[in-house]
Amino acid sequence: MEKKLNQFDIFKIMVKRDLLIQSRDWKEFVFRVGMLPFILILTYGFMLPQIGILDADFPNQMFPGMLGMSLLVTGIHGTVVPLAMDFNNTREIEDRLQAPVNVRVVAWAKMFVGIIESWIGALIVLPISLVFMGSYLNISLDFTSGLVLLGVLLLSSVTSATLGLLVGTVVKPPQIAAMFPGFLMPLIFTGAIFFNWAALETIPVMKYITLINPLVYINEALRFILNSGGDTMPIVYSISGIVVFTIVMGYYGMKRFIKMANR
Amino acid sequence: MKEKKIEAILEVKNLKKVYMKNDGEPHVAVNGISFELMKGEIFSFLGPNGAGKSTTINMLTAQLTPTDGEIVFQGQSLKDNPIFAKSKVGVVAQHNNLDRGLTARENLIYHGQYFGMSEGDAAKKADELLASFGLTDWGNDYVKSFSGGMAQRLKIARAIMHQPEILFLDEPTTGLDPAYREILWQHVLKLNKEYNTTVFLTTHYMEEPERFSDRVAIYNKGAIKALGTVEELRKKVPSQTIITIVLDALNEDVVKEVKSLADVKDVSVKDEKTFVVYVDNSQKVINELLALIDKKGLALESINLSATTLDDIFIHLTTNDIKND
Repeated sequence: MEKKLNQFDIFKIMVKRDLLIQSRDWKEFVFRVGMLPFILILTYGFMLPQIGILDADFPNQMFPGMLGMSLLVTGIHGTVVPLAMDFNNTREIEDRLQAPVNVRVVAWAKMFVGIIESWIGALIVLPISLVFMGSYLNISLDFTSGLVLLGVLLLSSVTSATLGLLVGTVVKPPQIAAMFPGFLMPLIFTGAIFFNWAALETIPVMKYITLINPLVYINEALRFILNSGGDTMPIVYSISGIVVFTIVMGYYGMKRFIKMANR
Repeated sequence: MKEKKIEAILEVKNLKKVYMKNDGEPHVAVNGISFELMKGEIFSFLGPNGAGKSTTINMLTAQLTPTDGEIVFQGQSLKDNPIFAKSKVGVVAQHNNLDRGLTARENLIYHGQYFGMSEGDAAKKADELLASFGLTDWGNDYVKSFSGGMAQRLKIARAIMHQPEILFLDEPTTGLDPAYREILWQHVLKLNKEYNTTVFLTTHYMEEPERFSDRVAIYNKGAIKALGTVEELRKKVPSQTIITIVLDALNEDVVKEVKSLADVKDVSVKDEKTFVVYVDNSQKVINELLALIDKKGLALESINLSATTLDDIFIHLTTNDIKND
């Protein structure tokens, strides 16, 4: 009746379980993921350029920022909220922690679902951007740039899931409501979503403070690829920044997860 | 009568768990306990609320890292190979830890798959268990809509989905009506008999270990106070006959005077109105007790004469600890 236990098989079942539960709330998911970029794109990418307050080139600067923001925030949200609830409130995760796998497998499954969600989050931005900013966008991608873009998106989604793992094992359910104003908003608005990081040259303090924000590196890398260079951070620096953040947050996130699992 | 089981499936050696409290002071939840679980036995681990029973179960099931000590599962150290141990155990936790976003049937199927069952086998077994626990009609309902009793039945069904070698039941019948308590025990006894499944039980219903356990451990304040068969534990109390008396109010003078009566072996105070007297000559002591109560002008609410039960053994072995807290 029982087949040989395989850690990867159990990982796949755990991912399937999470995706099934998420798919049942897909309307809520689309609303949650799409609403912020929709409002920002509608306002800054459509209305303000239309009425002449913002330059017509602004949507071009903004599009990579929206992509990066949506990717990062969706992945964080998709990992943080279930983890915080699972560990501190519903304790639903106990069934998976009792499964005959290394607890790291449970964490990997959670992160993998966060990665998938972050990709969906990024995909949702595309039609919104095309509808409202399509006429302003001037993006051309050759095959190599396309491959680099895919790599950056993949790496960024991993960053997003590792940050989600870390935050999800730190925050308690009552703090989730405070997470948006206290964590996500500062992360978004200091994440170079509207402009190149180099534009902060005139405010050196902000320029260096924002370097602790992983979204800066993600947006700079996306802007480098989608806007064909320009005045962005060199791609080697931005990718290195993403990698460093992923390793550091992944390390501490996993450490916290194991601690929470063995309480 | 079950055949005697002598092979140890789980060895616990000097197991200790110390938590740091918010004020930075250490709290010893489990203080160096040692015991063995024998293959195929039903072992009851009894103790008052907050004694550390769940902490012990969490350590034995690789969910909590001990501060010190060793757990050996079928010859393998749990610390070195927690996956091996986890593959062999089933756990019914005290709290509801079911997946609320899944249906009852899905809860069982996913659990079975975590333990290596194919989806088809897991679905078949899930349907059998849903039927056994009277949940077939709710199999496709989300667990978040379940009552406490239904959730408890489903938790038990989930724990036995993968036919564990050791089944840990942490107060499994709390919230169940008598009919489903019987159904649960039928399942547990069937597993125990047919598959030689070892059962580790904590409960506050003393009749359950008395009816079903091979051995019982009385545990309190991090330590095992007594361990043995129910018959062996009976010898730990001063006599085999007890008189339980409920007064309108109890005071220390009465207890002291009752203790001084000839033929009274010991007295345990159960609560602010009830005390238990362990006696040799029950008829004589009853007469003396009634006279004493009358002399003191106290109102007798009830008096009950009985043979020693596990309840009495438990109270006798744990009340002093509780009173000293």
